[in-house]
Amino acid sequence: MANKSVWSDNRFWQRSATWVTGFASILLIWLTFDTSAQIAMGNDEDLKNGVTKRVPGPTVINYKITYEMDAKRGHEVPVIGGKEKFFGRDDWSEEEARALLHLGKLGSQAKNCMDCHTLLGNGAYYAPDLTKAWLDPAWGPDGAMQALTGKNTKEEAMAEFLQHPDQFPTHARMMPDLGITAEEAKGLVAFLKHMSSIDTNGFPRNFGRMQGAINGK
Amino acid sequence: MFEPFTDVVPSFFGWLNQGPLTLTIFLHTVIVLPMIWIYFQEKKRLENEN
Amino acid sequence: MANNHLTSESKQLATWYFTFAAILFGAQLLFGLVAAIQYVMPGFLYGILDFSIARILHINALVVWMVFAMFGSVYWLLPDETGIETVGIKIGKLLFWIFAAAIVVVVLVYLFIQVGPADATTIWFITEGREYIEAPRWADWGIVVVALGFVANLFLTGIKGRQSGIVTVLMADMIAFAGLYLAGMFFTDNITIDQYWWWWVIHLWVEATWEVFVGAIAAYGLITMIGAHRKVVEMWLWIEVAMLFGSGILGLGHHYFWIGTPEYWWEIGALFSALEPLPLVAMFIHVLYDWGKTQGAEMADEHTDEAHVKSVITNKPAFTWFVLNAFGNFLGAGIWGFFHTLPQVNLYTHGTQFTSAHGHLAFFGAYATILVGMMYIAVQGTNGIKVMKHTKASLWGVSLITGGVVGMTVALTIAGYVQVLVSRAQMGATWAAYFDGQSGLWFAQAMDWRLIMGTVTFLGFLFLAKDLLTTGKNPVHER
Repeated sequence: MANKSVWSDNRFWQRSATWVTGFASILLIWLTFDTSAQIAMGNDEDLKNGVTKRVPGPTVINYKITYEMDAKRGHEVPVIGGKEKFFGRDDWSEEEARALLHLGKLGSQAKNCMDCHTLLGNGAYYAPDLTKAWLDPAWGPDGAMQALTGKNTKEEAMAEFLQHPDQFPTHARMMPDLGITAEEAKGLVAFLKHMSSIDTNGFPRNFGRMQGAINGK
Repeated sequence: MFEPFTDVVPSFFGWLNQGPLTLTIFLHTVIVLPMIWIYFQEKKRLENEN
Repeated sequence: MANNHLTSESKQLATWYFTFAAILFGAQLLFGLVAAIQYVMPGFLYGILDFSIARILHINALVVWMVFAMFGSVYWLLPDETGIETVGIKIGKLLFWIFAAAIVVVVLVYLFIQVGPADATTIWFITEGREYIEAPRWADWGIVVVALGFVANLFLTGIKGRQSGIVTVLMADMIAFAGLYLAGMFFTDNITIDQYWWWWVIHLWVEATWEVFVGAIAAYGLITMIGAHRKVVEMWLWIEVAMLFGSGILGLGHHYFWIGTPEYWWEIGALFSALEPLPLVAMFIHVLYDWGKTQGAEMADEHTDEAHVKSVITNKPAFTWFVLNAFGNFLGAGIWGFFHTLPQVNLYTHGTQFTSAHGHLAFFGAYATILVGMMYIAVQGTNGIKVMKHTKASLWGVSLITGGVVGMTVALTIAGYVQVLVSRAQMGATWAAYFDGQSGLWFAQAMDWRLIMGTVTFLGFLFLAKDLLTTGKNPVHER
């Protein structure tokens, strides 16, 4: 073995593999610290002072949320506007809102939402994506769902639907009755409203902007 | 050459992200470069073994 | 299974793992069929076994049978690689029964309790409701204990016996595999943080540690089945480890485009994950190259013409599955993954049937194939067979399963196109847009074809199961 090439040498590759794996892992851990700080949930003070957080605090349920094109970033971002009543109140305290969101997040897991729907685009594809469900025009004043459920507000219509989904068929594929209580439904709607305020870097694109566009017209 | 910073929160990685590919090229370079050093070390070892 | 030819207790334990894995594989396909029927006939089992439950069982059975077959593969190859009996085999056997019993309980709870109230007891005892790792928290701890026991067996044996490159890679890989599971065992109200760590488990398992595991198993298979040169095989293995971990660990970024994480993940995720197919190409070349090379060397030794040279393969069905792995891993994980890994594309394909198409071909191509191959190696060893041949059932099994999965993948890819174009690009991703896409003719037909191809896959499984149970006694093999 006079001129053995380094390229066919096991030790070279073993050391390279160790280096690459180790360094990539360290980078990932560093990135995780950086990202964790950026995705930590904000609080009520941030909302009052207009500080933009990628994941706003739970009291975001007291505010109106829209999804608007940001020229600088080149995609849509959630915009937190003025006060908006949520189940008749716009003064949910930090503790109350946190408790409601906690209930909703637990509910989303206890009812296996993710195994039919997608949340932030992740989950199953048997039912619509819920990332910006709160902003879906179907639940708004011009949509069909308020009349169908006999409620006058978005949140009440959603809560009513969640409690008796099998009574409001919107498609042959129906959501089953998962035994969601009135309180759990309230929590789930808070969870959905909060999720719609998360800055998802423009996903989904053009959400709710193409009503009535049929066959590309 | 330097793009306006568009990320919500400034950070080291966001700062490296100066437009298409800057961040990944930097990271890939940092990962691959030390392999050159490993290469020459191993080459020396193989030569010494002979 | 008759195990009169097995002197090693480790290999005996491996056959237990393989048997349970094969049963769960069948269960996975059955619940997949239920879910596929529900796409075509939404009323099927509505309110009894809803889509969500069928799908939980479909994907959980998938993960668990693969973990079982992976544990089995390690217990099988350890005595060969280290030259000694596995250390702590009694504990290994006990842990097998604990693991199997826990899974039966979890499945029964999924089936008959399904959902719970929105409180912590549901998370602890019924379901955690997080895709792939729905298993309740008590079972999480059980899995951690079992995995630690398994890793301990592997490490103690690896340290005591001969430490080959394959064993070294497996030791590093399995400790990461077990440790990563811990990242999925907590509850948070912040869905972004929830999904951030959830991907640590799912991605770093499937696209890093499992792939490296496959590399190690492929290396073992090439050495045992075609007598490939260990030094060459292990060199390839180290190259694969470098490339798989180098691209796979930071390739995690392609799951962080849209979940609320910072924009710099677009870059990291895009380029690192774009490189993920490279090691899969390397693995593909490696398997086929070694096969040709060993066969060529055989021909040179025999000094005969090509027609009279015997095949160097000592286990035809297993080797078929290993070669399918090389193809399937590259196509399913590599090509179908690359399709939608760039953020510009992923913005529209994220959360559509595209992902599902990729998932089907990748899990099958990258993992199911090689693990079925290991099952055949175990059947060969258990029955003391020198050269194992194909039987009618083994050929039907492999053809129908592969054809079925490829058919499902094509159908789901077409469904994905409809969803991307109609629901996402054209209609703007709302509830109404979603159902517009779902009721399109192409989508509906694609779902029909998926069901047909799923049925074909299941028929193939029946042949495979029959073959695994009976081929050991078949007189066609050389003993």
